[in-house]
Amino acid sequence: MVNLHGLILADRSSRDLRELVMVRTSSSLPFAGRYRLIDFSLSNLQNAGVRDVGVVMQRNFSSLLDHIGSGKEWDMSRKRGGLKLLPPFTGSGEYEGIIDALENVRGYIEDIKQDYVALMRGNLAASIDLGDVMYQHVRSGADVTAVCTPGTPEGEHHRFIVGEDGFAKDILLRRTGPGEGVASLQVYIMSKDTLLGIVDRCDNALNHKFHRDGLGGLLSAGGKIKIYMHNDYFANIMSVDGYYKASMDMLEREKRSQLFPADRPVRTKGRSDVSTYYGDQAVNRNSLVADGCIIEGTLENCVIFRGVHVGAGAVLKNCIIMQDTYVSDGVELNYVISDKDAFISKDVTLSGSPKLPLVLPKGSKI
Amino acid sequence: MNRKCIAMLLAGGQGSRLYALTKDVAKPSVPFGGKYRIIYFPLSNCANSGIDVVGMLTQYKPLQLNSYIGSGQAYDLDSSDGGVFILPPYQSAGEKGSWFSGTANAIYQNIAFIENYDPENVLILSGDHIYKMDYSDMLREHVQNGAACTIAVKQVSMEEATRFGILSCGEDGFINEFEEKPKHPKSDLASMGIYIFNWKKLREYLVADENDPNSSKDFGKNIIPNMLAAGEKMWPYRFDGYWRDVGTIVSLWDANMDMLGNTLMDLFDASWPIRSKSPIRPPHYAGPDSKINHSIVTEGCEVYGEVSNSVLSSSVTVGRGAQVFYSILMPGATVEDGAVVRYSIIGENTKVRAGARVGTDPDGSADWNVATCGPNIEIGAGAVIKAGAMIYDSVAAGEGSDA
Repeated sequence: MVNLHGLILADRSSRDLRELVMVRTSSSLPFAGRYRLIDFSLSNLQNAGVRDVGVVMQRNFSSLLDHIGSGKEWDMSRKRGGLKLLPPFTGSGEYEGIIDALENVRGYIEDIKQDYVALMRGNLAASIDLGDVMYQHVRSGADVTAVCTPGTPEGEHHRFIVGEDGFAKDILLRRTGPGEGVASLQVYIMSKDTLLGIVDRCDNALNHKFHRDGLGGLLSAGGKIKIYMHNDYFANIMSVDGYYKASMDMLEREKRSQLFPADRPVRTKGRSDVSTYYGDQAVNRNSLVADGCIIEGTLENCVIFRGVHVGAGAVLKNCIIMQDTYVSDGVELNYVISDKDAFISKDVTLSGSPKLPLVLPKGSKI
Repeated sequence: MNRKCIAMLLAGGQGSRLYALTKDVAKPSVPFGGKYRIIYFPLSNCANSGIDVVGMLTQYKPLQLNSYIGSGQAYDLDSSDGGVFILPPYQSAGEKGSWFSGTANAIYQNIAFIENYDPENVLILSGDHIYKMDYSDMLREHVQNGAACTIAVKQVSMEEATRFGILSCGEDGFINEFEEKPKHPKSDLASMGIYIFNWKKLREYLVADENDPNSSKDFGKNIIPNMLAAGEKMWPYRFDGYWRDVGTIVSLWDANMDMLGNTLMDLFDASWPIRSKSPIRPPHYAGPDSKINHSIVTEGCEVYGEVSNSVLSSSVTVGRGAQVFYSILMPGATVEDGAVVRYSIIGENTKVRAGARVGTDPDGSADWNVATCGPNIEIGAGAVIKAGAMIYDSVAAGEGSDA
């Protein structure tokens, strides 16, 4: 067995995801035609041989529960250990941050059988070889290994200044846009004891920040944080705009193949859909289409999820259409994100803009 | 524990009339209709009909088949006291053990397995038909009529009747005659090779047949005629849905083409799902210059060229300027840039290299046929494969071309 335990934080959603997180947490946001964001974390753990995983959840988690189930899709339905869903205890209120969430599952962390823990956020889309991260971590003798990107994550993030030895010299908190050093993807491997030490260090309201007080405190106390570079594609989805951009990234072969490498498959809940059928007049230009769809109209630069119907004469451009949405004949959509189970009546025309895609909430009837 | 009915699925067939397509796998493992393999149909029918014990008899090249079945979980057939069980031929104490010598012998050799479940009835299925059937409805008729055996039958044309086992019925509705592939059929009711037997009765006949040295140990040739001759009550269960035997290249190609319209068999019907176990791949992608019409396309495909009237299984690639017409591309097949595939079946993971041409449109001649390339081979760049060809091994670049 791998000496590594997964801990996925699926507690918080960015408010900028608006309608998309009205009925779910960002970890269960549908992405790339057939996945939920948490599939990437779960698959990264599975591909590294990790079977014991805790998922910390807080609010709006019914779609997450439904999606993950027993964890059997990721081989995490086991007799001993396996996947554990960690909902909040009643009355614990909203988690203020990572430390709050970790304090709430402290008992769970103490019971972890493995020596090492991989801590990550459930809304990061990236294919990371955690087996390699773990190997490098143990070899380096670091207290913490942080997976970082040379790119710029969306929104506020933390950065590390890296020394020539590959260890962090400093942590730069809450930056936006490109800047000095490398950006944290908030995927960390550390020993269980180090993790509990960080939680202990942040024991009062004045020092309650994981990055500032936990990791920053570790650094100033002489602790070592090793930087592991992830140079491939990633998307940390924080807003509708970011969601739209990341979805459109999937139309690029290079980015798609980095997120879905052949040797580290991304698994998700299966539905046993049929193959997609294209009618006589169907057109598909530069679009991604999942199984179970019926396409009679025209698609251009779209991401189409499972079980979508696109009627005859319908023209969809630059759209993201989530599962089981019914687009009637003659509909014209441009820059529209339709959430699950929407119904769009005959000949309706809807248009958003590249900067502001129009979001149709789950189950909309238009 | 006593059960009303368990199923025994005969999946040992080699499928010799599928030639190159079954050189590496048994017939039930042959891909079908984009997402499926032939065996998924009877397995899904079992799950949908509430049959929770399926014994699957394997013999010919079973390895792939075993991996598709696994715990049966993909078909919702894993349960705490049932499931799908793979039953290869085995050796019992003091005996030499032997291959299954016929369909009836295969069941005979697994009497002990069946007795474990102490079933009242046993459903016998074969792994080479595409259809959706509610076996629980058939079982209800079987029990209501107090039959020793119920045979699913389908009306066929008189010309077709010569290829099937043909049944005739008396005024009471029970079967009174059975002829295997008759030259002059007396009726148009064809046996679909799906039987429900009262287990106690079947057991008697299996044991008697096993001791008959002249028997070919076959349900159609021996067990059914013997039961009829003995005056057992045999009921025909009439089925009028879609049902195709896919035992030949042409019938396999035809049935795949049938899947392009959902009028013959509705695979989208959520009340009777055909479950599949397919690798989870990202959605399929169609490039800016692609053209896809009247076709089915599966996840993992990348289409840059033209696809029409075709079935693309998972992870198929069609390159730029390539054309795929009236063809079946099995999982992982690649048609490289500028290659042309017409009226063909391309086996799993086979690569049709750039500029190669496989198959031609029907020209009305008697010897025209669908071209078939077996799995895991390469058709070299610029090579030409004629209509009706049956390709087992890789073909070198430029071979067969006039240039």
